[in-house]
Amino acid sequence: MTLLNKVYQAVFRRTSTFALAIVVGAFFFERAFDQGGQTLFEQMNRGKLYKDVKHRFQGAGEEEEE
Amino acid sequence: MMSVPKSPLVYAVSQIVANTAKPAGKAVLTKTENILVAPRQLALTSYAMSKLTPTGADQVSTSLCAPSQVRFAHTDVQVPDFSAYRRDSVKDNHASSQPSATGRKAFTYMVVGSGAVTAAYAAKTVVSEFVSSLSATADVLALAKIEIKLDDIPEGKNVTFKWRGKPLFVRHRTAEEIEAEQKVDINQLRHQEADADRVKDPEWLVLLGICTHLGCVPLANAGDYGGYYCPCHGSHYDASGRIRKGPAPLNMEVPEYSFPEEGLLVVG
Repeated sequence: MTLLNKVYQAVFRRTSTFALAIVVGAFFFERAFDQGGQTLFEQMNRGKLYKDVKHRFQGAGEEEEE
Repeated sequence: MMSVPKSPLVYAVSQIVANTAKPAGKAVLTKTENILVAPRQLALTSYAMSKLTPTGADQVSTSLCAPSQVRFAHTDVQVPDFSAYRRDSVKDNHASSQPSATGRKAFTYMVVGSGAVTAAYAAKTVVSEFVSSLSATADVLALAKIEIKLDDIPEGKNVTFKWRGKPLFVRHRTAEEIEAEQKVDINQLRHQEADADRVKDPEWLVLLGICTHLGCVPLANAGDYGGYYCPCHGSHYDASGRIRKGPAPLNMEVPEYSFPEEGLLVVG
């Protein structure tokens, strides 16, 4: 509870600090949310993405070029 | 004495008021049977409360002889128990709520704040997705640029490429052509541009191969000036793509281009 009190006194008490905390929080939340979503997508589609099968085409691709 | 529409709701209290008028007759006590009333229910829900609350046309009539006062006795209406919805720190009626005030406020603000963070993220995503939908699509962007390997173009030769649906002339100029074009007095030209302003590297002339008269494609290495000649109406361009003779009003257009590395030309 003392931690909550400290946070309240430092951040939530003034609208200015509250708004600033929301903006800063949105910045980190965006990064975490986007990266988390990307990781989840890649985990659910493991083995089907191009980066997983890239090595199969790379050797043949170089031969075909030129 | 009185009509009681909803027996469990209404409790009548009759009151004797001091009166100078003498009663017309002696009050007689008559014995009646006990009136049964339904047992009162606890109002624990809003529905039960609404059943207990007097509504509608509850009427009590009184007469001169029998003054009576009817009170709706609300003091016995039980407040529903909301303790399931109350925070633990304020459940005790006798404890002070002050010490836990900041903690409760902090929790409330934290819920509001995390909602605001999510809303800000969602709003930012919507706006940026909308703005990025206004930009050109990937297939258009892919067509917007052309890479040309300059090693394949021999000196003195003009090669035509297709770029954004238009012919693109890339001319590898010889030393004589460069010298001749740089010597031209621009005051004698119809559209006055120096050769140095039209090329980045004097060896390479990059042009949109469209005659500025009516949009035909000129022929390379033809005409009186050794540059381009438009067969449609006889416009003569020099080896810098400048109009020298004929109906065209302007020099041929030079697109944006760059040489990112030796031997590579990128137009667009």
